[in-house]
Amino acid sequence: MTKTILVIAVFLLAVAVGILVGPTHLDSEILQLRISRVILGIFAGGVLAFCGCLLQGLFGNPLVEPYTLGSASGAALGASVGILIFGAISPILAFFGSLGVGFFVYTVARIEGGLLRDRLILAGVVLSFLCSSLVMIIMVLGGRELYEILYLLMGYLGVIIDATNRIMIIILIVISLGLVAFLYRYHRELDIISQGTETAAGLGIDIQKFSLIIFFSSALLVGLTVSIVGAIGFVGLIIPHVSKLLFGPRHRYNLGASFILGSTFLVLADTLSRVITVYELPVGVVTSLVGVPFFIYLYKK
Amino acid sequence: MYFSKNTLLFCGGLALVCLISCAKEQIGSGYRIVSLSPAMTEMLFSLGAGDKLVGVTTFCDFPVQAKKIRKVGDFSHPSIERIVALKPNLVIINLPEQKRIKGELEKLGINTFVSSPNSLTDIYQELSAIGRELDLERQADSLIEYMKHNLQVTTPDNRKRVFVEISPRPIVTIGAATFLNDLIERAGGVNIFRDLNKDYPVVNQEAVITRDPEIIIVLHPKGITGRTGWQKIQAIENNRIYTDLNPDHLMRPGPRLVDGFRQLKRIIND
Repeated sequence: MTKTILVIAVFLLAVAVGILVGPTHLDSEILQLRISRVILGIFAGGVLAFCGCLLQGLFGNPLVEPYTLGSASGAALGASVGILIFGAISPILAFFGSLGVGFFVYTVARIEGGLLRDRLILAGVVLSFLCSSLVMIIMVLGGRELYEILYLLMGYLGVIIDATNRIMIIILIVISLGLVAFLYRYHRELDIISQGTETAAGLGIDIQKFSLIIFFSSALLVGLTVSIVGAIGFVGLIIPHVSKLLFGPRHRYNLGASFILGSTFLVLADTLSRVITVYELPVGVVTSLVGVPFFIYLYKK
Repeated sequence: MYFSKNTLLFCGGLALVCLISCAKEQIGSGYRIVSLSPAMTEMLFSLGAGDKLVGVTTFCDFPVQAKKIRKVGDFSHPSIERIVALKPNLVIINLPEQKRIKGELEKLGINTFVSSPNSLTDIYQELSAIGRELDLERQADSLIEYMKHNLQVTTPDNRKRVFVEISPRPIVTIGAATFLNDLIERAGGVNIFRDLNKDYPVVNQEAVITRDPEIIIVLHPKGITGRTGWQKIQAIENNRIYTDLNPDHLMRPGPRLVDGFRQLKRIIND
């Protein structure tokens, strides 16, 4: 209980810090800007960590996350294609990229009555490499779009919100949060499956169907997130581990905690990236710069 | 007489042919230039050396004659094979973008001329260097004179703060190490990011809002209306956003900077 209060307190603190701390005085315009940035941080950090937790539970593998499964790279590829063709990031293409890679990985790893977990990671990593090469080709072809794709690959929360994308971003966030709420209801099934697929099958869970739902919903979530803030790495991999260290293996607590911790982490990382320079430092860079030492410390303790 | 009339005629003819072919050689031995820099392509045409160009990039679209010259690729990715196939004896390279090409050409023993101007002084220096190289010093001097005359410093009582947006996602602007920064200062304005000693820095929105520009020049087609948090910026409140400037007149260090400068002066001192 105390842990829960602590996590929520830290989250609120992070939000306050994200809004109040910055290189400049606070007036209503800066406030608007920071609030929208914090909202993006809560949304992206939360969704990525939530997906990581979901996938790690489903496949019982600590390495699984949107990146290692290839869906983040697939989404980045789709979004880059959008930049090349339409001159703007297209959420639909990002989603299809994410889904396409997800589907391929799923097909490779599928066997009778379940998924081969090792093959899943392998296929995901291989597909990630493929997507990266294709994105490189687009960067070479694009020339002028290079910066935009580069920032998409690293992820950043400094996205300009204007009349052309405001409504779309709100809709995408609402859809994502709805999907998160929908997936949260499966925490009990996830607990059982992470114990072992035989037990789960014995208890009457249709593993095939269940994996399919989780797998593609998370692909959708990742596609939506990438189309707004780019492919922010590290959050989805590490945060679920931190949450597990704090709250143990049960998904009822773990899923929620991952969301809140992911939000906290990303909002803080973004505040840091904003404060240290007037340059737009991609938040994806800061997440790993700060996150890796923290993670090593946590595990060595 | 040791030689018959026929022999003499033959020798004479031979000599004539030799002379003609030598003369031809002389004409043909002039410069064969490949320009990988759209700005330098414009400069060469202004110097009257456009006919020496045998290859250009797909970005070299001015003057119209430049469009008819053989293309060797685009600005960022010229093809080394196509360049070599044109047998140039001078290739004009833009740094830092074409560093790789420069190394490869030098390995092949092809003469290169480097262009990478970060200020107006650089532009003038390069112009006189290419003039010397091509024996067109007089023309180069008069072009420099023309540019200097038309790019004279204006010093208003208070300098307007200018923000230039090159691309919106992420926000790319100009730092101190650009000739456009020079032009803005000469036109009587001050670039809000001149403290960044870079050419094209990526900056965050908060920095733009805090520095509160009085004039915003948008050099991309996407526009900047309705941005969250930008409403109170002076330029936006007073509707001093300029989206219709030709980027080629401001971003391309060629003779048309004069046109761009004229527009800048009009905008800033409006």
